[in-house]
Amino acid sequence: MNLKDCINFNDFRKLAKKKLPSPIFHYIDGAADDEVTYQRNTSAFNEVDLVPNVLRGVENVDLSTTIFGKKLDLPFYCSPTALQRLFHYQGERAVGKAAQKFNTMFGVSSLATVSVEEISSMIDTPKLFQFYYHKDKGLNNAILERVKAAKFDVMALTVDTITGGNRERDLRTGFTSPPKLTLASLFSFATKPMWGINYVTRGKFELPHLQDHVKEGTSTATSIGNYFTKMLDQSMNWKDAENLCSKWGGHFALKGIMSVEDAKRAVDIGCSGIMVSNHGGRQLDGARSPFDQLAEIVDAVGDKVDVICEGGIQRGTHMLKALSLGAKACAGGRLYLYALAAAGQAGVERALNQYRVELERDMKLMGCTKISDLNRKNLRFRKT
Amino acid sequence: MNLKNCYNFEDFRKLAKKKLPSPIFHYIDGGADDESTLRRNTDSFNDCDLVPNVLASVGKPDLSTTLFGRKIDMPIFLSPAAMQRLYHPDGDRASARAAEKFNTFYSMSSMGNNTIEEVSNISGGPKLFQLYVHKDRSISDDLIERSRRSGFDAMCLTVDTLVAGNREKDHRTGFTTPPKLTLESLISFAMRPQWVFNYLTGKKFELANVKKKTDKGTNIAKSVIEYINEQYDPAMGWKDAEYCAKKWNGPFALKGVMSVEDAKRAIDIGCTAVMISNHGGRQLDGSRSPFDQVKAISDAVGDKLEIILDGGVRRGTHVLKAIAAGAKACSFGKMFLFSLAAGGQQGVERLLQNMHDEINRNMVLMGCKDLKELNSSKLIYRNRK
Ligand SMILES: Cc1cc2nc3c(=O)[nH]c(=O)nc-3n(C[C@H](O)[C@H](O)[C@H](O)COP(=O)(O)O)c2cc1C
Ligand SMILES: Cc1cc2nc3c(=O)[nH]c(=O)nc-3n(C[C@H](O)[C@H](O)[C@H](O)COP(=O)(O)O)c2cc1C
Repeated sequence: MNLKDCINFNDFRKLAKKKLPSPIFHYIDGAADDEVTYQRNTSAFNEVDLVPNVLRGVENVDLSTTIFGKKLDLPFYCSPTALQRLFHYQGERAVGKAAQKFNTMFGVSSLATVSVEEISSMIDTPKLFQFYYHKDKGLNNAILERVKAAKFDVMALTVDTITGGNRERDLRTGFTSPPKLTLASLFSFATKPMWGINYVTRGKFELPHLQDHVKEGTSTATSIGNYFTKMLDQSMNWKDAENLCSKWGGHFALKGIMSVEDAKRAVDIGCSGIMVSNHGGRQLDGARSPFDQLAEIVDAVGDKVDVICEGGIQRGTHMLKALSLGAKACAGGRLYLYALAAAGQAGVERALNQYRVELERDMKLMGCTKISDLNRKNLRFRKT
Repeated sequence: MNLKNCYNFEDFRKLAKKKLPSPIFHYIDGGADDESTLRRNTDSFNDCDLVPNVLASVGKPDLSTTLFGRKIDMPIFLSPAAMQRLYHPDGDRASARAAEKFNTFYSMSSMGNNTIEEVSNISGGPKLFQLYVHKDRSISDDLIERSRRSGFDAMCLTVDTLVAGNREKDHRTGFTTPPKLTLESLISFAMRPQWVFNYLTGKKFELANVKKKTDKGTNIAKSVIEYINEQYDPAMGWKDAEYCAKKWNGPFALKGVMSVEDAKRAIDIGCTAVMISNHGGRQLDGSRSPFDQVKAISDAVGDKLEIILDGGVRRGTHVLKAIAAGAKACSFGKMFLFSLAAGGQQGVERLLQNMHDEINRNMVLMGCKDLKELNSSKLIYRNRK
């Protein structure tokens, strides 16, 4: 199996599994507890059906959408995800360049392994920085200033990781960052020599946004669960979010909103967008899926802020459904992460292109030529 | 595999399976008939979703509640389960001590292998006694009297076991108590010498609390099914339950209530609580699951009775959902029995610690400071309007 055999989400996943040491694969692939929410994030899309319209003249399809005041050529973008250089030695460089090629937004995590300065000198397309709110306020300020100076377009504060999720696959594999070679994982690393060679020879692994402030993430091996629980500020509240929003002064979003009530409060504190998300099922298992919750949130705040449906997306039709319900755009992590692990920048480009092709085809089959043609009349829910 | 690799129900179950002779493992693991209720008890939690609130500055959530007049540190406790010395030589002593450590209820079955007095001597923690009404009424009277003298906090009367359920795994394995070494089971016992050694060298196996009153369950190898059918009174009615409640005259629950109607009658006869339960799917297969029914019962009688959800709980989030739907607390049987088999008192402690951590973590992720904040607004049923 290689890249040119990858024609859908599952193919990329399979190839990633082949290439990655198993603790790293399972860090991407796993979720909280019994992974019920993780599965539901995708299966929720199957409880609604698309109803096409025919004979509409659909030769030219425009997939562009505008979020956070920026026009994107695609109605989906790459969610911020941590530690990308663990997945492929090119890491954020690969994802950023691929996003630029398709003129869509690139989400950069606080736990990125390439600096915001480098990324902003590398690409000029829309960039989102994902903010984790640390106990160390000096660290928070330093990050904010750097991101501002690097001229990022959007700041998204993640609000669903107030404590670490119970990711049992990581407990079993002993996943830490940087990877610690325990006896149990050694075998897996040893059987994936290419990954090991690249990891060791392609530059030191670091967390450039944190390393001046903390030892976590650089020399000492720490688990992600520990990072959330020990370093992030559990007392973070609406006032803190509001302060951060005004300090940033630009487009600001809350990532991980699930209730209508919270969506309204996000509007009140000055957000221009929200990501309806449960962190890809990696935090609270049993939580509602973004797609299940989307309509209510769009109804409540869709005219005031950009509502983004994030998580579980594996197909163009999933995006069509979310956009029909009123999402301004879709976002996902695993939809490009497996491709990154499978083949770096070429992999991500191939994945993004496939979603683009699928979307274009599906738009035509639906009888739609632009995103704003999609609406709830296109959908029937099987049960109500 | 050992105890420190056990993170969840399935892990404890696997380790228990490794340690126990198969007839005994299957006695815990099995349910009635096709086990559809057994599965539904857990699956039902997946038909609804939690909706968290963010930026709630929760800090350290308060997991405590009061139950049967006692403050407990978390809203979960150990269901009564028969014959715990079959699962680990320490039997009820291990579970009672572990529960005490976490300041929550341990429950003693009428069919326990340790005496009421013995357990009350080793544990000052909250204790619930589970009663079966025997055909010989003096047995029940004696159990009530001794529980009172020994300082048990509460009593529950099990009402879903008038006859034994059809546990087909037990038929197949030939499960009897005390275990009878049939040829089929011999191999399984022989492969677990540690269990056999403990069983033979430990105290004599007996139904400690009823042994003076009946020789059943001690001398003759007898299947649990036969024991239930011979000893328990299938003619037990509301009058008998009322008699027990009055005689006990303290916090009192019916265990095994499933209908709203029966929950209302429980108030009339003087109960302070009901345990919504189908006996962990071990009795009437095809009956409704506790979680599917908890909201209706809580809506009807939640202001007058303490509602306990018993059965199917495997995760902290299950407990959160039960409480959001109106339960005051949850109890579980199989889960702690597997942990007991896996590691005795230490095993049960590890399980309770895991569950504590899960509930705590998930309360934080939900943005709830205490259990009162966990109300029906946090729960959405997928296919109900
Ligand atoms: C491997 C991995 C790492 C992630 N790291 C972060 C992160 O650092 N910050 C963040 O806000 N979200 C992070 N997420 C969550 C994603 O931003 C996104 O919410 C999630 O992946 C969406 O679900 P999907 O993978 O089903 O598309 C991560 C997700 C994955 C899979
Ligand atoms: C091995 C075993 C023995 C049990 N013995 C009793 C008992 O003696 N009295 C009783 O009221 N319930 C008994 N139960 C039922 C439990 O109290 C409880 O209702 C049930 O286990 C809850 O379902 P769960 O196992 O899914 O948590 C027993 C359950 C098991 C698994």
